[in-house]
Amino acid sequence: MGSFVVKRLLVTVLVLIVVSIISFSLVHLSGDPAVAMAGERASPEQIAEIRKAYGYDRPFHEQYLSWVGRFVSGDFGRSTYLKEDVGPVLARHIPITATLGVLALAFALLVAVPLGVIAALWPNTIIDRIALVLAVAGQAMPSFLSSLALIYGFGVMLRWLPVSGTATWQHYILPAVALGYYAAPAIMRLTRSGMMDVLKSDHVRTARAYGLSPWRVVLRHGLRHAIIPVVAVATVQFGYMLGGSVVVEAVFSMNGLGNLAWLSIRRYDVEVIQAILLVIAATYAVLTLAADLLNAALDPRIRTS
Amino acid sequence: MADTSLIDGASASISAAPAAKPMPTPGQIALRRMARHPGFWFGGIVLGVFVLAAIAAPLLTPYDPGTQDLARRLAAPVWNSAGSWQHPLGTDHLGRDYLALLLYGARISLFVGFATVLISGLIGTVLGVAAGYWGGRVDLFVNFLLTVRLTLPVVLVALVAVAVLGQSLPLLVLVIGGLLWDRLVIVTRTATQQLVGREFVTAARAIGSSTPRILMREILPNITSALIVVGTLELARAILMEATLTFLGLGIQPPLTSWGLMISEAKSQFLFRPWLIAIPGTALILLILAINILGDALRDVLSPEGRA
Amino acid sequence: MTPLLEIRSLSLEIPVNDGLLRPIRSVDLTVERGETVAIVGESGCGKSLTSLAVMGLQPQNARLSAERLAFQGESLLGLDRRRWQAIRGKRIAMIFQDPMTAFDPCYRMGDQMAEILRQHRPVSRAEARERIVALLRRVGVPAPEDRLDQFPHQLSGGLRQRMMIATALLCEPELIIADEPTTALDVTIQAQILRLLADVQQETGVGLILVTHDIGVVAGLADRVVVMYGGEVVESGTTDEVLGSPRHPYTAGLMRSIPVPGRTRRGQPLGHIPGLVPRPIAPLTACGFLDRCEFRHEACAAAPVPLRSGAGERQLRCLLPIETPRQPAEPLVAATAIA
Repeated sequence: MGSFVVKRLLVTVLVLIVVSIISFSLVHLSGDPAVAMAGERASPEQIAEIRKAYGYDRPFHEQYLSWVGRFVSGDFGRSTYLKEDVGPVLARHIPITATLGVLALAFALLVAVPLGVIAALWPNTIIDRIALVLAVAGQAMPSFLSSLALIYGFGVMLRWLPVSGTATWQHYILPAVALGYYAAPAIMRLTRSGMMDVLKSDHVRTARAYGLSPWRVVLRHGLRHAIIPVVAVATVQFGYMLGGSVVVEAVFSMNGLGNLAWLSIRRYDVEVIQAILLVIAATYAVLTLAADLLNAALDPRIRTS
Repeated sequence: MADTSLIDGASASISAAPAAKPMPTPGQIALRRMARHPGFWFGGIVLGVFVLAAIAAPLLTPYDPGTQDLARRLAAPVWNSAGSWQHPLGTDHLGRDYLALLLYGARISLFVGFATVLISGLIGTVLGVAAGYWGGRVDLFVNFLLTVRLTLPVVLVALVAVAVLGQSLPLLVLVIGGLLWDRLVIVTRTATQQLVGREFVTAARAIGSSTPRILMREILPNITSALIVVGTLELARAILMEATLTFLGLGIQPPLTSWGLMISEAKSQFLFRPWLIAIPGTALILLILAINILGDALRDVLSPEGRA
Repeated sequence: MTPLLEIRSLSLEIPVNDGLLRPIRSVDLTVERGETVAIVGESGCGKSLTSLAVMGLQPQNARLSAERLAFQGESLLGLDRRRWQAIRGKRIAMIFQDPMTAFDPCYRMGDQMAEILRQHRPVSRAEARERIVALLRRVGVPAPEDRLDQFPHQLSGGLRQRMMIATALLCEPELIIADEPTTALDVTIQAQILRLLADVQQETGVGLILVTHDIGVVAGLADRVVVMYGGEVVESGTTDEVLGSPRHPYTAGLMRSIPVPGRTRRGQPLGHIPGLVPRPIAPLTACGFLDRCEFRHEACAAAPVPLRSGAGERQLRCLLPIETPRQPAEPLVAATAIA
């Protein structure tokens, strides 16, 4: 178990190094960021000055190493557009996206897991079919469309919920639904197939044969098993949601990390883009690591061997 | 559907008496199962209609999607009381015929989808087959690449790439294709691994067939069905990705048009003329739905044992 | 006196794509208090399904019908969920074939056993623990306190099966159904487990149904033997009668397929029954064993063969029974089973 954790950690670090190289070179692919940063009316002298100030005249690998060095020591660079350090900027935007992601995941799980269990308990019935149709239909709806549909339905027609900004908790409901429902079908299908398998298993038959109540059988001896792969998938989906928040935050005018990324891309704010890419990738890497460990915690066969 | 007796014969042979009828080939069985699968019909027909409509766009509408007619801007579709058959789906904020935009937009969406799947299919197959066939270090390396790819936030990386490299159609295809190969690798790798252990591959090795020959003659033909299934599902993912990037303003650019662009441009009109979003939105959902259902049907038919 | 378990004309039908499976066809079975009855047959003969049907655990889509299915004189037909729950585990307990998968791998052994005990009896955790430890000691589990905190995968197969037996004994049931209790175990462990079952049965006087494909384990353990083939009872009687002079060709075939110490020579091929158990899809129009029988005759193909009662408790479903001079009951077979 210990060596497993060490190995996983090592791979995670290696992956993050490659990811950092990719995101660094991606931003520098266009050639000279100084030209873009200086603006259209800048003189060649001004551009050269910016180039020197930001170190863009140095060899590529030197630039990369100094960037990584600063990044690791907690200096995320300085935003050229916002004229402030990237660290505090991120700190302002991250809580919004994190809240949105957690709520979206909660929504996805609350819808998908019960539906999956019900579909598995009564396979090939109306409920199962409806769940399947919802899953297939759900996966065909891009989140920008579902966002717009939710705004139109609940914000404009019914006027139940606010549709823009992050002022109150109600502001988070529609974006969380828009972001979360996309993950729901995958979780539902996984719960359903996992439950179907476990309900056929010997230990569930034992539980039934020993007179345990149906709910005990289904939840304690069934769902407990079916949920193990769901945990891993849900964690991964949470990582996707952080990336996918770009769309939802843009539509709902939420000032989170996704929106910041989108704006920074349009403003060509190099340091901010790099920092966000790396932060999201690192979060995802840590989450998958956590998912593996959580799996081990849920399954004593992994934990104790 | 004319002759189902063969299928019945096949299942009856499981019971006591073996059937005397000739066994149908796996291909025949798959075709028959396909003909019976409603998902195959729905998905296939809808996708077919979209493809045909996109190809035959000039025949289906007299308008050019680029022609602006400011006098007729924001005309309502025909089912609206203010609409007329002159522009069945109305016009947009620049007076362009919405049906023409929809039809020509389908061309872009489908082109991006298919072209992307060709690229991601190539990357995914090469990596997946290599990992599955050689295993060991190659497998570890491919697995590492896969982890790196999964760790990258796709939408963000695509946005940055398009913003940095410039916004052209071929580039968009390259960027999406270069990102969406993860599931293809996973599936081809597993399929190849299963094949490598089978007798006919061992036999081919034993008689001294060269590696490229084994890969082309034994491995590739036998992973095509798995490849077709994921490829179909990836087609839907690629089309969604294009629409998303375009919606965010960093994908397809005018004068080209796509459904994502139509939705993006209609955002400001959304409260007063919701149909401007509903029309391309419905088309997009219907297309994705059809492709996904077709993919699921293909999976049921081609690899019944591999149902998720 | 009413028997412990009374089954009359039990049938099970399962709709499948190409018809109706009939895995159990009008089976009669009686178990008296304190009696051990063995149900013997190859896999697919309906013996496991019969035992599951007694617990109401037949597959969900299966259609069960019976003239009578009664436990202690109370009918088990059409019981609702709660009344089934009150019987399962408490009055009828089951021992499963594979102790590896029969326990939930996610919970500690002690917790799983306590969950069952506390489902049926109002005892505290401490009391439950005490009872479980005592039972584990009884079934020969070493260091029982330590086992409670272990997970199933941390125990050996033999140990798990001992704990399965202890689990079956938790609520002092009146009937225990052991479904292939030794099939998944090593040969040496098999003998130990069979001896334990025999001891437990002697001590508690519980009724025991032993379901097995291995006719060799029956002797010395069962009072009566019921041989099933194709969902039907083909032969039954006391263990001495059936094993001593098998009269149905199928029973004889099963007997030939076990090695007998002292008589089976080294390297001598064991007997076997050619062919496979047919898929029970259609109603029978002939003897069910027709295809595989070495003595088949025209009359056997004419109509289904009825089950006829012979001398004593003997019942037989065969038109041309094997006529062997009665031999003394075979103590040799017992030696393989309980060494």
